[in-house]
Amino acid sequence: MIPLIKFNNVSIQRGKNTLFSNLNFTVTSGHITVILGANGAGKSSLLLAMAGLIPVLGDIDLMGKPLQLYHPYDRTQLIAWQGELPPTEFGLTVEQRLCLVNDCPKRINHVASDMDITILLSRALAQLSSGELQRVELAALILRDAPIWLLDEPTSHLDLKHQIHFVHTLKKHSTKGRDIILILHDLQQAKVLADFLILIDTQGDVHYGKCEDLFNRQTLTQTFDASLVDQESALMPDYGVTIS
Amino acid sequence: MIHIKGAITWAMILVILSMFFLLTLSMGEQWINPFQASGQDAMILWELRLPRLLTAFAVGGLLALAGAWFQVLLSNPLAEPYVLGVAGSASVGAVAALMWMPDTTWVMSVGAFIGAWIGIVCVMFFAHLGTNKMLLAGVVLAAFWSAVLGLLLALLPEQGLFRAFSWMMGDLSYSDLPITLLLGAWGFALLCGFFLSRSLDILLLGERHAEALGIDVNQLRQRLLLLASAVTALAVTAAGTIGFVGLVVPHFMRLLFGSLHYRVLPASAIGGGILLMFADTIARTMIAPAELPVGILTAMIGVPVFLFLLLRRPS
Repeated sequence: MIPLIKFNNVSIQRGKNTLFSNLNFTVTSGHITVILGANGAGKSSLLLAMAGLIPVLGDIDLMGKPLQLYHPYDRTQLIAWQGELPPTEFGLTVEQRLCLVNDCPKRINHVASDMDITILLSRALAQLSSGELQRVELAALILRDAPIWLLDEPTSHLDLKHQIHFVHTLKKHSTKGRDIILILHDLQQAKVLADFLILIDTQGDVHYGKCEDLFNRQTLTQTFDASLVDQESALMPDYGVTIS
Repeated sequence: MIHIKGAITWAMILVILSMFFLLTLSMGEQWINPFQASGQDAMILWELRLPRLLTAFAVGGLLALAGAWFQVLLSNPLAEPYVLGVAGSASVGAVAALMWMPDTTWVMSVGAFIGAWIGIVCVMFFAHLGTNKMLLAGVVLAAFWSAVLGLLLALLPEQGLFRAFSWMMGDLSYSDLPITLLLGAWGFALLCGFFLSRSLDILLLGERHAEALGIDVNQLRQRLLLLASAVTALAVTAAGTIGFVGLVVPHFMRLLFGSLHYRVLPASAIGGGILLMFADTIARTMIAPAELPVGILTAMIGVPVFLFLLLRRPS
């Protein structure tokens, strides 16, 4: 159990709201960790804090060293954060956007074909659909080749085919030793991917643990404050009718 | 292959620039061939037209560079050098100075320079609040300056009105700044542009992404605000408020050369210079021997071009 990211009495504020106070938990290295929680529970803020992109009270240690002691350059070599889609109004093309990650890497064609964006390379970002744009962002993520990935809903705009492909991609990279922490809304994807879970309930309490210990109807019902049903070992949202 | 294409493009730009330069140098109340000028013609050419052309070139280039920077800084393609009220406060300074010492020629430039910096300092107070609030504060400040300007104009004695009017529309004939200073500033601004171009490209992805890629966004924004404002203040001091160069030229260059700043910035610096040289030449020849304020010409050329771009641009 090698610690990857350790929270020591961390409090996170956004504006005047205190989202979390006195967080203490340690994310272990070598796994996929999925963050689950309701809207506004603070998932994205927690992820930004791990990336060192927002100020926090207390210490977050990255591999044994406080995050704020890292030089920004070293930090960005270790951590790749992907969040909201970028603005598109200045007319960058897909290829130019990918080249901003590091100096136009040779792997660009390989990664582009893996992410199914080869035919989009010369298009302007503004001409893409949000799903295509998200695939471009994920390609940029892969090109950065950082050992730690922090992903904020990486599949939110993708169609089914590309969601499935990206779940496979994440599994593959995890097996190769990459540390991945990601926010998801889809419970089935979370179940398939997660070795560990971070659950944030509506009171701002954070529960960290193994997926098999936390992924059950009782715990998740409490996390989401929503009704769930067990359906043949899968946990489904309770829409009031049985899907056969 | 790419390098050959780039070299050809730059060679073409230089040829176009030289052609425009010779053309605008020859044009005037009477046509003078620069290669055969002598006597009084040579005097007109080298001592009147040349300095004015160079001033126009430098001011146009500075305005276009400042426009390109403000557009990235405010992540708003509609930003221009005057959007944060720097031109408004400069106008207030210039007109106030004119009221105070109506018979001195250089007084408007000094007033404009001081006014511009007062405007910049006001905006700086809001810089830490983030892009949107800074933009909002700048736009509101611009409205305030324009109200103060209205007040001053209402109080201004009649004989000063024409000078105030032509200064506010932009006029290169009053420029008191040394040409070397303006051209030096143009070169310096372009050099800064080259150093910043990679960071500016990354900033196009938004502040959060830029931060995640290791850019110190706060520092970059402060530097950019200071640089773009200083350049604007200098241009306004030299030539009054000349509209649309800073808005249209960077967009035009983005359409021609793409969005990466190592191309957009030099192309804007040269393109803005060409546009203002051209507009100023028309301004001083159209109703010669009288002159029109050049700001009228840039707006009359700039507005149709900009509207055309808007129609062509995919949303």
